[in-house]
Amino acid sequence: MAEFNLPQNSRLVEGKAWPKPAGASKLTEFKIYRWNPDDTENPRTDTYFVDREDCGPMVLDALIWIKSKIDPTLTFRRSCREGICGSCAMNMDGKNGLACTTGIDECGGTGKNSGRVAIYPLPHMPVIKDLVPDLTRFYAQHASIEPWLKTTSPAPEKEWAQEKGDREKLDGLYECILCACCSTSCPSYWWNGDRYLGPAALLQAYRWLIDSRDEATGERLDNLEDPFRLYRCHTIMNCANACPKGLNPAKAIAEVKKMMVTRQV
Amino acid sequence: MLSESSMRTPLARVRGLGSAKSGTGHFWLQRVTAVANVILTIIFLGVVIALVGKPYPAAIALLSHPLVAILMLLFVVSGAVHMRIGMQVVIEDYIHGEGAKIAAVMANTFFAIAIGAACVFALLKLSFGG
Amino acid sequence: MAITKSRSIPAYAGQAYPITDHTFDVVVVGAGGAGLRATVGCSQAGLRTACISKVFPTRSHTVAAQGGVAASLGNMGKDTWQWHMYDTVKGSDWLGDQDAIEYLVRNAPAAVYELEHWGVPFSRTEDGRIYQRPFGGMTTEFGEGPPAQRTCAAADRTGHAMLHTLYGQALRYNTEFFIEYFAIDLIMDDDGVCRGVIALKLDDGTLHRFRSKMAIMATGGYGRAYFSATSAHTCTGDGGGMVLRAGLPLQDMEFVQFHPTGIYGAGCLITEGARGEGGYLTNSEGERFMERYAPSAKDLASRDVVSRSMTMEIRGGRGVGKNKDHIYLHLDHLDPKILHERLPGISESAKIFAGVDVTREPIPVLPTVHYNMGGIPTNFHGEVLTKVDGNPDTVVPGLMAIGEAACVSVHGANRLGSNSLIDLVVFGRAAGLRCAEIVTPGEKQPELPANSADLALTRLDKYRNAKGGTPTADLRGRMQKTMQDNCAVYRTGETLEEGHKQIHEVWAGITDIGTTDRSLIWNSDLIETLEFDNLITQAVVTMDSALNRPESRGAHAREDYPNRDDKDWMKHTLSWIDDEKRTVTLDDRPVHTYTLSNDIEYIKPKARVY
Repeated sequence: MAEFNLPQNSRLVEGKAWPKPAGASKLTEFKIYRWNPDDTENPRTDTYFVDREDCGPMVLDALIWIKSKIDPTLTFRRSCREGICGSCAMNMDGKNGLACTTGIDECGGTGKNSGRVAIYPLPHMPVIKDLVPDLTRFYAQHASIEPWLKTTSPAPEKEWAQEKGDREKLDGLYECILCACCSTSCPSYWWNGDRYLGPAALLQAYRWLIDSRDEATGERLDNLEDPFRLYRCHTIMNCANACPKGLNPAKAIAEVKKMMVTRQV
Repeated sequence: MLSESSMRTPLARVRGLGSAKSGTGHFWLQRVTAVANVILTIIFLGVVIALVGKPYPAAIALLSHPLVAILMLLFVVSGAVHMRIGMQVVIEDYIHGEGAKIAAVMANTFFAIAIGAACVFALLKLSFGG
Repeated sequence: MAITKSRSIPAYAGQAYPITDHTFDVVVVGAGGAGLRATVGCSQAGLRTACISKVFPTRSHTVAAQGGVAASLGNMGKDTWQWHMYDTVKGSDWLGDQDAIEYLVRNAPAAVYELEHWGVPFSRTEDGRIYQRPFGGMTTEFGEGPPAQRTCAAADRTGHAMLHTLYGQALRYNTEFFIEYFAIDLIMDDDGVCRGVIALKLDDGTLHRFRSKMAIMATGGYGRAYFSATSAHTCTGDGGGMVLRAGLPLQDMEFVQFHPTGIYGAGCLITEGARGEGGYLTNSEGERFMERYAPSAKDLASRDVVSRSMTMEIRGGRGVGKNKDHIYLHLDHLDPKILHERLPGISESAKIFAGVDVTREPIPVLPTVHYNMGGIPTNFHGEVLTKVDGNPDTVVPGLMAIGEAACVSVHGANRLGSNSLIDLVVFGRAAGLRCAEIVTPGEKQPELPANSADLALTRLDKYRNAKGGTPTADLRGRMQKTMQDNCAVYRTGETLEEGHKQIHEVWAGITDIGTTDRSLIWNSDLIETLEFDNLITQAVVTMDSALNRPESRGAHAREDYPNRDDKDWMKHTLSWIDDEKRTVTLDDRPVHTYTLSNDIEYIKPKARVY
């Protein structure tokens, strides 16, 4: 049955409150999830104060500022800092997104977090350390939809011809950056992530299903025809809400379901 | 069941037992019965409203009419089917122990059939002048 | 050449660090465009191939490439590889090796068709072919004709589309990935042969020793040596650092490309494709100043020319904004439909990072460090070269380099936009083909030298337990500031002398470096320190090479030597370091003044006017 409480050793405790930087005029409070696999302590939330005059506008800027100026042990993934690599996906103020494209001022918190920015790793993923989740299964799910062009016809000497209109069907699909914001915001994925492929993998599945050059549509549909792999999508729509690239995985999943029905009815 | 051991490759675990090659029938039936239920529920409500304050014989008279009886039978069957497959999804979502899940799915099926059968029996009894 | 010295083995929780051993035919370090293409090629050739990457493959910086990939497909009008070659040679300011350039441009169309067959969602023309856009420095008729439409694009997300497709191909060929493994050092034996690499597995802190017949460095550039770069935080030139420590040279490190249009403040890239689609630059007087500097190509002159012109305008007091320190890029005159279709990504970036609606307002931009023409010297097969006993083409057995990490050199003193993506796939493929030729699958490999892990272990242990008084972030900040201030678009003997002094001080400061995180699992403090160690050596050789070159060529513009000096300086710079004594040794290598075939003659140097 569903579990309602976290196991004893996973419960969050209050962590360290780091001193405010001296001489700063504009401070923002950050409450950040910390967990170190090297000791036996429970996860905790540490409190930091960021000098906004000395720091860029994005949440990632603040994390890097904290790591550089206050606490070098704070651990998170980051790379491109322009919203295209998908490394710094995390949960900010209760919403999944990319730290590099989320403004600090967009986060303000409500209730007990009012006025401070609360940062956690992506929900419902095993944590490796601090804000670094283990995405192994997520990547394997992406691999399982076989994300490459499948053709049997002899390849032409030049490019496969594709009508402009057919190419446009890939817009809103191929831009996915595999950040996992959508899948980890999906309750159905939380409950059945071991069998449900999740919105990101299914969006990619549809990207190859709808590619006019691909010749394996039927085989791809066969592979998805499953009560769990595909049909755990209950159109909760958190995925579309979470996507930092403005894509709509729920719509793509609905299109896959339509294709399934079309070939039977 | 397949091993969930961490020594299996991630892809092996994700692929699991493979695609069930079903699910679309379930999905489609849920939509079809949903549409049917919209129409049949309106008719059912019409029947209920028509019978408000009427005595028992009037109810028997109305439900004995073949058209009404058939529509009510359809309402019961469609409702029971929709209920069963809808509940199955809920069970699959929330119950993860394999044994408990199978038991719950079976119980759900039995319950839906029992409810359906009871309603059908009652309707038939009424309409055939029980 | 012994590069590893016997040292006592450091302690890990009171014991020696445990090491897991692997043996592969080929080990590719890096999973960006070049690394993945080489990995796929080696896998196809039946070689047992490992691909090690410190980030998940689709996080590699290839993903951020926007504008496109150059190949003379001729989909938008007549085009030939000869014209592409001429443009590339001219773009390189005649520092590129013309045999390698010929190899690049002749193999480019096939490489693009291959990408398309693998599934890259290229934008299309009305007749269903790959859409190609104009790009800086790309012309027709050997510079005499109108701009060429040669750059194949998937909207403005070409790198993303390519990287994800290449990752898909790697999955298709069941590549063995080692993801989130940080390569620390090469294993070199006493004969100067590369025998593999040592890497740290981030998620459990274990060490892994990869023994291989061939190690391919596809580790990208070192843009993060500068304060403001379009490069990702992970662009720390780890391969270059490893090669320097292995006693091998880097080439042409003084040539650092500044992209004309990085978003002011944030440094994020706005593709040259924006100007290819009709965008233009203006100064504070609203003047389209590029018409003055490059009357023919205007805003589509090569990047070094545009960046220098922008810098001239700003220094002339004609910059825009409160501090008159940047330039405007206009797209607001373009049809919103075209912007939406062809430049959706930068419209989004401009909104997020500059708060600008591109359909209404100009984007504030500034020349920003973007690409390293220099790198590990290789031939056009990808084999790493060094200079031994006066032979500048001595192959280092067992070691290859490709992509931005390498210096083939096809980009010479200045790379043309969209020539890097084609570089990745053409030379990634070439490396795979070469491996297929010279490595036998499953070949038995001799035992590694006993001290094979010493260099890596010593450094790992030193930095993990570093108790000095200077945090890594401070030293890194000083390095970035020094490079930004003293080795930027315009250089003078004075700034370079000062920079040389300062950057060597930063290098010396590494003896006082201090880290805080002592753990081994995902110790990003340690990784950033190892990355800094890779960056600083490359920053130093960049500064010293720049100081050493008294001429202006491509991206290396000296105010005190404004002209190109073909007589004395049409040659590559080679730079070595001694990591113990912290000294730099410079030498040179002739430019290849011959082509690959008789199909085209050597393109002779002439004045470079756009």
